[in-house]
Amino acid sequence: MQMPSPNSILHEQAGFLRRHVFNTDHKVIGRQYFFLSLAAVLVGAWLSLLMRIHLVWPKAAIPFLGEIKPENYLAQLTMHGTLMVFFVLSTVPQAGFGTFFLPLQLGASKMAFPRLTAAGFWTALVSFLVLIAAFFVPGGAAGAGWTQYPPLSALASAGPGEGLGTDLWLVSIGLFCLASLMSAVGFVATTVRYRAPGMTWMRMPLTCWAWFVTSILILLAFSILLVALAMLMMDRHAGTSFFVPGGLLVSGKAVEHSGGSALLWQHLFWFFGHPEVYIAILPAMGVTSHLLSVFARKPVFGYKAMVGATLAIGALGFMVWGHHMFASGMNPYAGFAFSSLTTAIAVPSAIKTFNWVATLYGGRICYATPLLFSAGFVSLFITGGLTGPLLAQPALDVYLHDTYFVVAHFHLIMAMASLFAIFSATYFWFPKMFGRMMNERLGRLHFWITLLGAYATFMPMHLLGIAGHPRRYSDLTGVQYVSAMAPLQRFITLAAIVTIAGQVIFLVNLFWSMRRGPGADANPWQCSTLEWTLPSPAPAEGFGGRQPLVHHGPYEYGLLGAVEKDFVMQDAPATWSDNGPSE
Amino acid sequence: MSAALRVTLLLVLIGCVYLFLAQPYWFPAGASAQSSLFDHQFWIALWVLGGMFVAGHLVLAFVLSKKPRAAAIASRGSWQLEVTWTLAIVAIFFWFNISGERLWSSMMLHQQQAGEIQIEVTGAQFQWYFRYPGPDGVFGRTDAQKFAKADEGNPLGLDPSDPAGRDDVVTTAMIVPVGHLVQMRLRAQDVVHSLYIPAMRFKQDTVPGMAILSHFTPTKTGVYEIACAELCGIGHYRMRAVVRVVSEEEFARWLKAQVKNTSE
Amino acid sequence: MPIIGDRVEIERKPKLGGGGPGKIGHRRGYGGGDDGDHGRPGDFRSREQRMRRYRIGMTLCIISVTAIFVLLTVVYVVRMGNGRFDQDTRRWVYDWIPLRLPYLQLWANSLLLLLSSATLELARRSMARKEEFAAMGILPPRMKRDLPWLGITVLLGFCFLAGQVLVWNNLRHQGVFLASNPSRSLFYILTGTHAVHLVGGLFALLYAAAGRLLEARFESQSIVVEVTGWYWHYLGFLWFGIFALVHFAKG
Ligand code: HEA
Ligand code: HEA
Ligand code: CUA
Ligand SMILES: [Cu+2]
Repeated sequence: MQMPSPNSILHEQAGFLRRHVFNTDHKVIGRQYFFLSLAAVLVGAWLSLLMRIHLVWPKAAIPFLGEIKPENYLAQLTMHGTLMVFFVLSTVPQAGFGTFFLPLQLGASKMAFPRLTAAGFWTALVSFLVLIAAFFVPGGAAGAGWTQYPPLSALASAGPGEGLGTDLWLVSIGLFCLASLMSAVGFVATTVRYRAPGMTWMRMPLTCWAWFVTSILILLAFSILLVALAMLMMDRHAGTSFFVPGGLLVSGKAVEHSGGSALLWQHLFWFFGHPEVYIAILPAMGVTSHLLSVFARKPVFGYKAMVGATLAIGALGFMVWGHHMFASGMNPYAGFAFSSLTTAIAVPSAIKTFNWVATLYGGRICYATPLLFSAGFVSLFITGGLTGPLLAQPALDVYLHDTYFVVAHFHLIMAMASLFAIFSATYFWFPKMFGRMMNERLGRLHFWITLLGAYATFMPMHLLGIAGHPRRYSDLTGVQYVSAMAPLQRFITLAAIVTIAGQVIFLVNLFWSMRRGPGADANPWQCSTLEWTLPSPAPAEGFGGRQPLVHHGPYEYGLLGAVEKDFVMQDAPATWSDNGPSE
Repeated sequence: MSAALRVTLLLVLIGCVYLFLAQPYWFPAGASAQSSLFDHQFWIALWVLGGMFVAGHLVLAFVLSKKPRAAAIASRGSWQLEVTWTLAIVAIFFWFNISGERLWSSMMLHQQQAGEIQIEVTGAQFQWYFRYPGPDGVFGRTDAQKFAKADEGNPLGLDPSDPAGRDDVVTTAMIVPVGHLVQMRLRAQDVVHSLYIPAMRFKQDTVPGMAILSHFTPTKTGVYEIACAELCGIGHYRMRAVVRVVSEEEFARWLKAQVKNTSE
Repeated sequence: MPIIGDRVEIERKPKLGGGGPGKIGHRRGYGGGDDGDHGRPGDFRSREQRMRRYRIGMTLCIISVTAIFVLLTVVYVVRMGNGRFDQDTRRWVYDWIPLRLPYLQLWANSLLLLLSSATLELARRSMARKEEFAAMGILPPRMKRDLPWLGITVLLGFCFLAGQVLVWNNLRHQGVFLASNPSRSLFYILTGTHAVHLVGGLFALLYAAAGRLLEARFESQSIVVEVTGWYWHYLGFLWFGIFALVHFAKG
């Protein structure tokens, strides 16, 4: 580990408040986001464990919680989905690693709006606390699923969780929207204004491209969600009727509202929701492209195609929301358009996949933990992604919609794939974030368990869906053909328990390495991007006075004939570029 | 490490393929006109996408090999390749997509047919109700808020003052004659539900405030389960019903009997 | 302002030590060019730097605000177009009650907003004129042909808000409540959301206006005015958009 610079020593000496609360250092904020997500993912995983156990052993008494009742199951389900989608996948890959590494990779020492970025984190933290608080209010947390379809979510009388719990859910996600908007503004401004001299658009690492495009998606998608939430809130408390039609009779009582449309919410939510799922995957894709190139010691195959695909996914992401609504009673003619558009969006994703494979091809691959997880990402992305075009067919989807087939689809591609990218990014950037290396042995063990666990848990869910097992069933005994599937459900639960237990290895590795891990030198992975020109951990003042000048593309690896140093730092003297390999 | 990774990927591949070939759980036997079409389309999907899944993993396992290739290392991409595989994947995906669109239109868009059975399906927390118009072929007016009394045998809130409603038959099980097109009007009384009949390959959300028209044609007599497929509250998991597909004359007999004891 | 601004730039550059090297030759196949800014990224002192940065930030805010209002407009139009389907008569019931608008008040408010935009522009100019002095570290003298435009703008802004409140009260007295009909709800949401955004702008202007008391650097004041200007004019534009919507699309 290198000598910390005097500046960072000063920083260390600053008071707790200065360092953690009123701090505007993007590196600290990045770490804070990281730990926020870690907390969220632990709660989320714990909830999934409870859900799995309840499904197959309904009478099992959980320590401290006792037996789980159906309404608890629905609350856990909703919170599991919400935590994982918003506070893990929309937080750590983007706001976590992005806030930390975007400026560094662009050769800047701070974000464009440091205070705004900081404000974003604190808002996110508050929204997290509000969400968790919902567990402890009468009626428990919201129970209408993370999609919160009204009228169920609009009428307190419709279910136990639909009272205060749902209000807190709405407030929390509203705050989360604001937080994401704040951080996204900083991201775009930083990318546009703070690129070091010579860091042209086409010299940005693909991670930066991903963060940039994702931020734009956030700016559009989350402001839409914000409005939708406000409208739902007004339906609940101001007596408006945007989403609640007239003539309803809920639990024996007539509902006052009239004239709303339940489908309107579904349109608004999915107009946000689909871009949201790409917000969850784009940074993961960026990290994967980056790491595959680093560890295969090869330039990214088809850099421009990758950039193009990223932009295409971002643009198309706003035109496919209807594929979540094929069975909703939406005009069947809309089904045709959404089906084709959805198929279209699968194409850029496929292009990326091909490029990843081609990047690996013939590389001098170094099988470190980050590479393992990136390879795992590609595998899971293929597996989970390929069910997409299938679900994109209205004719097939109406049968599979809201069955475990969909659960399998999005756990493989969203839950597991993105999570694998998070893991690889953690193992990869840990030295730059904490100044130490993580343990390879434990890392590999964690990888094997998680990869096999992921497939063992989520692959069989396809069969449940094919056999017609609906989602969001808190109990298998209600429908006969569903209860017949108990054995497979039991297997899935066992697999899930193993997977979740395996995560303990990761946590041990993480915290042990923070304290005891071997110190990391500036560039342990032989990486060419600018963050690796800094000592590890990245000092508070960033590049300080030294302004990096960028002369090379981000992926100059595997130079022919090179023995010792087979790559070129982005800020290496320009002279090299004259006789270097050109396309 | 390389070997281990490749072997693991291949094991995963084999495991997944086995799962889909062994089919420990699979579609219930189809019992409607569209089920065979659906199953056929699904098999196409399975072959096309399953094929890609296998190919993808084989290629992945292959490229994760140990020995570097100098030629490959130098390459930064090749637009010829990009164009080739882009066109290839576009061709595959859209050929597949179009075949699906054809099926969708054949399923959704149909003309009125002679002898089709009218049924109004209503979802309510947590119970399905099926209403037959009776001899007059007209559904009586309903107003759940005014008249609905589940315990007094009027769960849908049939308006007593409407003569058309007198002979309406309301049941909690769907009885349909085999071979007739069943024309349904789907409604919901409180929140969104979803009428899901796996054996008929049928699913349609029932949305409060809407009357969604949908249909299927049972082709095999028997009893098939109906589940609710849209989260509708605590009882979502037990919102079950059955559809009894019976012969024409049995259906006629049943309906007559029902009408008699409703009009009394 | 530009000329002055630029000269200031030139004078101050040496002191900054900013200005990286000129454009760097890129290798073939790497496309693109620099975005033309060779200043030091971390640099917070150069006015131009900050200005560019805040302009981008503001553009982004405007983008997402646009998203919001486009969405609301779509909802308004769609909701107006399709009524509720009555299950029993099996006919569409159009329950959209056209709005009755207090045009006099609305026009008055529009006028106020228009004026405020104008005065804000004047404020920006007078500040730009003073920029030169500020750049040289002299407390800018008050030019006699300048009115306190900023203060006036803030005042007009508040009048507009007050006017909107009056409109809402007026409607309420006519029995037009938020909940009484979709057209009502959407009218209140549109105008309300607009008002909320306007309040944001007002705070920014207040900060700039109170700048002297808060000893804020003149430079930051003028930047705030400049950038908030964009936002303010945009909100004015939005207001007329909303007005046009509720006028032409009554249903
Ligand atoms: C990260 C999140 C993520 C991503 C990336 C995707 C990607 C895709 N999704 Fe998915 N999706 C979700 C998250 C995601 N989805 C979630 C959360 C839901 C459920 C929401 C809910 O109801 O709760 C959902 C639901 C969902 C539905 C609705 C299902 C239903 O509820 O009825 C549909 C339907 O069209 C769909 C389609 C697609 C498609 C076409 C893609 C495409 O982008 C996929 C593209 C990828 C590929 C096509 C693979 C490429 C690989 C190859 C081509 C292999 C070939 C390679 C070689 C041979 C070397 N998704
Ligand atoms: C990121 C998204 C994500 C993730 C990771 C998971 C992880 C898991 N989920 Fe799920 N899940 C959803 C998103 C996710 N889920 C969503 C959106 C729904 C739909 C909700 C709804 O219907 O409304 C859902 C629903 C859902 C269901 C459907 C319930 C039903 O419909 O009745 C089930 C059932 O088995 C389930 C199980 C699991 C299991 C066993 C895991 C296990 O894989 C958990 C194992 C945990 C991990 C592998 C994570 C460990 C990570 C770390 C320890 C650190 C990483 C973080 C940092 C480094 C900062 N989830
Ligand atoms: Cu009814 Cu779920
Ligand atoms: Cu989607």
